[in-house]
Formats: sequence, C-alpha cells, structure tokens
Amino acid sequence: MTRLRRSFGAPMAALIVLLTGTWVLGLIAAPQVIMIEQSLWKMDRPAGADELSVQIDRLYNRLDMLMLDRAAARTLRTPSATEAKLAQIDAERAALAAEIADLETAERTPVKTWTLSNYAQMGQAHLRIFAKTILASLAVTAIAFAVCYPIAFAIAKLEPPRRAALIMLALVIPYAINELLRVFAWQMILNYGGPLNAALGLVGIGPVPFLESGSGVFVAMVYAYILFMVFPLYNVLETLDTNQIEAARDLGAKTWQIHRRIVLPHARPGIAVGCIMTFMLSAGSYSVPYIMTRGTAAPWFAQLVYNRFFQASDWNVGAAYAVSLLAVCTGFVFLMMRLLKVRLRDIAK
Amino acid sequence: MIPTPSGMDIALSGAAVRFGTFQAVHPTDLTIEAGEFFSILGPSGCGKTTILRLLSGFLDPSEGEVRIGGRPMAGIGPSDRPTALIFQNLALFPLMTVWENVAFGLEMRGWKTARRRARAFELLEIVALDGQGDKLPAEISGGQRQRVAIARALAVEPAVLLLDEPLSALDLKLRQHMRAELKQLQEATGITFVYITHDQGEALTMSDRVAVMNRGRIVQVGSADDVYDRPATAFVATFVGEMNHLPGRIESVAGDRARIATPGGSFLAPNPGGLAPGTEAVLFLRPERLHLLGPGEVAANGIDGHLLRRDMEGAFSTLIVETAAGRLTVQRVNSGAGGLPAGPLRLGFADSAGVILPAGETADDAA
Repeated sequence: MTRLRRSFGAPMAALIVLLTGTWVLGLIAAPQVIMIEQSLWKMDRPAGADELSVQIDRLYNRLDMLMLDRAAARTLRTPSATEAKLAQIDAERAALAAEIADLETAERTPVKTWTLSNYAQMGQAHLRIFAKTILASLAVTAIAFAVCYPIAFAIAKLEPPRRAALIMLALVIPYAINELLRVFAWQMILNYGGPLNAALGLVGIGPVPFLESGSGVFVAMVYAYILFMVFPLYNVLETLDTNQIEAARDLGAKTWQIHRRIVLPHARPGIAVGCIMTFMLSAGSYSVPYIMTRGTAAPWFAQLVYNRFFQASDWNVGAAYAVSLLAVCTGFVFLMMRLLKVRLRDIAK
Repeated sequence: MIPTPSGMDIALSGAAVRFGTFQAVHPTDLTIEAGEFFSILGPSGCGKTTILRLLSGFLDPSEGEVRIGGRPMAGIGPSDRPTALIFQNLALFPLMTVWENVAFGLEMRGWKTARRRARAFELLEIVALDGQGDKLPAEISGGQRQRVAIARALAVEPAVLLLDEPLSALDLKLRQHMRAELKQLQEATGITFVYITHDQGEALTMSDRVAVMNRGRIVQVGSADDVYDRPATAFVATFVGEMNHLPGRIESVAGDRARIATPGGSFLAPNPGGLAPGTEAVLFLRPERLHLLGPGEVAANGIDGHLLRRDMEGAFSTLIVETAAGRLTVQRVNSGAGGLPAGPLRLGFADSAGVILPAGETADDAA
C-alpha cells in the first residue's frame, strides 16, 4: 500500500486498490459465494409442524363444540340470558378463529434451513450423466490436444514467421462468427440429410446418425474450443529455442525422442493452460450439446443444472449441482498442475 | 579418462549453398586433416555458419559433395554423422540437470540410467565440473555451462567437433582461459575441431590452420602466421589484425619485391602477387612493423610524420602519426621511458615488413 502510494501517488494508488478490490470481490468472490450459499439451504416445513397441526385440529374441534353450544343457547328461557350466552360464545369463536389462522400461517410458512441435503439430491441417473460429462470433457480435451499439438508445433517451429502469422489469422477467423451459428453449421453438416452423409452415401456408406449417437457433440466441441488449446500451445512452443531441437537431433535423438524429452517438457505450462480451458469449457457447455443432440441423446450436465433452475424451479438443488461441477473442475485444475509439475506462476506467465 | 576416437578428415568438393537467389556459399573445395584444429574466420554473414551446418548435416549442399572420414555424407542426417555440434548459445537443455544434459546423447543411444550417469560424471570430471552434476544449467556459471556443452558433445565420442563461436558469450578473461582449455582438449583427444569465429584472436591462437571467409568464399587458407603475415588479399590483410593502408602505384619490380609510389614517398616491399609496374596497388603495413627512427638512423623505407596522439595500452603504446600518405598507426613496445613529445618524427620499416596487394574490398568496406 505504502509502496503503491510512493510509486503512483495517492489518487492513483486509491484507484488501483479500488479496482483490484472490485475485481476480487465482484468477479471472483461474489459469484462463487452466492452459488455456494444458495446450495447450502432449502425452504423447509417449520420445526414442530406436526404438533401444530394436531393443535389446529384440536382447536377446530373446540370450534365445532362451540357451534353446538351456540345452538343449545338459543333454547334458553330468558331472552336476556340467551343474548348474553350468544355474545359470550361468539366472542370465544372469534378468538378461536384468530388463533387457528395464526397457527395455520405458522404451519404453512416454510423456514430457511441450512443443510447439505441438496448435495444428496443427485439420483442415480443424474450421477451417471455427471460422470459421463466429466469423461466426455476429458475425451474432448484429449482430442483437442492431439489435434492442436502438431498444428501449434508446425506453426511455431517449422513455418517462417510471416506465414505463421497468416496461419494464426486463418485459425482465428472462424471465431469472428457467433459460437451458436458455428455449432448450428456443424449440426447441419453432420445431420442425417446433411452434406457429410450425402458424401458418404456416394461411396456407399451411410447414412451415419452422427447427432443421435452423440459423436456430433464431440466434433462440435473440439471445433468450438480448439482455439483455447492452440493459442497457449503456440505461445509456449514459440519460446522454445530452435537450437535445443537441433542440439537434440545432433546428439542422436529421433523425432519422437525430441518431442518427449525436449518439446513436451518445455510446453508443460501451455499444455496445462490449454487443457484446463478446454476441459472447463466443455464440462460447462450448455449450447453445444443442446444444439448438436436436439434432445435425441442423453443430456450433458450443464443442461441438468439449467433444468433444475428453470424447469424444476429448485434453485437450491440447481446451485448444489453447479457447485459440484465447479468442485470437479477445480480438482481438475490442480490435478493437471500436479501431473505436469506446473506451478501457478508458470501458468500466469 | 578421455575418450580417444581418432579424428576424421573432412573434404568439401565444389560444395555450394544457395538460398533462393542468394548464394550463401560459393562452390568451395576444402580439406581439413584428421585431428586438425581448423578455424573458419570471417565477418558475420560471410557463410561460415552455413559451412558448419553443411558439416553437421542440418543443411545439404545445393551442389558438390561433403565427405567426412572419406564417406560421402549425402542423405545422412545430423543424428547419424560422426560429428557433434557446440552451439553459439550452447543450447543446454534447461529442464535437465547437468549430468542429464551430458548423458543425453547416451540416453538416445539406449544406455541404461546407471551406466550413463556414471559416464556423465566421468566426463564432468574431465572438464573440471566434479560435484556439479545434479545442478540445473541455470544454477552454474557461464564458464561452467560452456564446459557442460563440451562434455555433452564429447559424450557421443564424435570424430569431428564443430564449434559455432562457443566463447562469444563469455567475458574476456574467461574467454582466454577457455581458449587454452579447448586447445588442450583437442590435443588430448585427437578429435578434428572445426571452429567458427569472427574473433581473429581466437582463430590465431588456437588453430593449426585458419580459413578466412568473405561473401560466401574462402579467400585464404593457411597457418596463423600465413594469414597474419602473408595475407592473400586486401580483405584478409585488413580483417585479421590492425593494418595501415598506403594506396599508390607500382613503380618498378625487382625479384619478389616492388617499389610502390605513394603520396608519402616510394617504398620497397614484398610483391607476392607479382604486380606489374603501373598497377594501382596498396601497401599494407602492420602497426608493430613501423618503428621510430632516431637522428642519423636509417631504414630501407622511411617516412616523415607528425605525432598526433599516444595511447598508453599497457604492454605497448599506440601512436597516431599524420603523414603525407595518411594517418598511420604505430605500435611500440612499452620500454618504460614514458611519453613522447608531440611534433615531427620519422618512421622507418624494413623492405620485408609490408605487403603490396591489389586494391580490393577491405574489412572496413565489408562492415
């Protein structure tokens, strides 16, 4: 704080602190805290609701008795005595009715109860979808890596810089189009009557139900998130000294040995960043599986979360689902860092 | 113990390299003897690194042939040649420890871990790096890294060691020390060393023979003495060491000497090219071959001048003398007699001291 003030002056330092605080609170803490809070409670029938309803029943019985008393009172001898008795009974009835109304509201108004039970709400079917989503996202990540690594290496190390810039530009251009439109385009390509099946038909294969089998989701996801894998890989590979590759070759390394011992170890931070981003985006993807399967294949987990919120209107369970996904993703981040022996500092670079 | 594979000889015959329309190396014939310390000296961009890449196998000649140990190298990649390359930036593998770096070539040849570790530590001992094996390259000093690179190259027992200005990143003291070590290592191993440098000091001190290159051509091959004292062209004369130029015209020729007329007078000097009278030529004179003539002293050649400045450089001092033939640099051994008064003086030099060469491109033009 003192250092900041000395370097930038008081107004600038205050602004920096304010902006950083807003960032930390608003962009990092608030959404997570709200989602976790939401997942930790539910609206419940109040404690002792059963006793209350017995009590209410008893009061209703009293009310019925009073009605009988009232009917009996009409047959009293003196009109004045009747008047008095009726007034007394009516007052008692009014008091009873008020008490009943109070108790009934108390019985009906739910109370906010802190509980972990939202997390236990995931049934067998949903758990299976959860596991499938995680595994599928891992597969998408692996495919994206397998596709991107050779591309990134070729651009970074084999092409002259000017051509590398052109290729990178060509890679970015599709991303100028909205993600939904790109996914729809792939939906049309892979459709039963789409161009790919038409082409396959010409060679006597087909028609293949890409979309119904769920493989379309893979294709579209790899396509949708490939850039998040290519760029970190390219960036890190570009910093690899070409002399190291040549030195390894000069010392007798074959191509696969060069990659295993020199290039891949160097690329670790980029691999970690690319895998984490691709995995997170795939695991949390809603639109891609939604569009690509059109409901014909089992949903992805993000769709379940959506349904909890907006169809079952159960925000607390929805929040619990969302937090579970977040936990697994965070776990994945740390697993990748551990596996690739990458520290946070390397990733930040 | 030091690996003792015998060095192999190298032969380039008509080898040339073209990049598109750019002729990086003109057709070159060159023979390097087995076990020789051979330097290729030239300014940056002269094609010396291209020749090194031809030898290491990263580049194939556009025409001509490369032979190492008598075997044609066409189609043989860097990993299969009997050569090892030491890079200018060393190209140590930063994520591997020192011993893993040294053992890398052995690892690629399928040696078991224990065996290659033992071998790596042996090699590290040879280059005086005992106890540094488990450090990372970033944790040792520049001179130590240099030795790691040497040990790494020696591990694969090459017959030819190719060195691409490996000392350029070191400071002066260390550089001089490493020169001696490299030379010693070369003598101990008998490996053929091909040393690329733009530093004439390195080339002259270490090499059995030096090739001077300019613009894709080898302009002279010879011993350090040949290149320094008997330069073949104006470029070699000016690139290697300090040189005074006295442009003029050949007056007369007598045997292997010629008399050249310059604005500062006419001088007798060796004429190795056999230039005929009337030819435009330049007399090149080393600063240390010029000396001051005392009163009454005579020399084969004499020239009057005027002392402008004296720079004390320790073992010797440099005089800048204005003469009718231009500004001359003179180097004098420091006798401890102190400074010289500014003013008129007379310089002399023997008739064997300079060399007359046809005017041509000099190192100053190239730079």
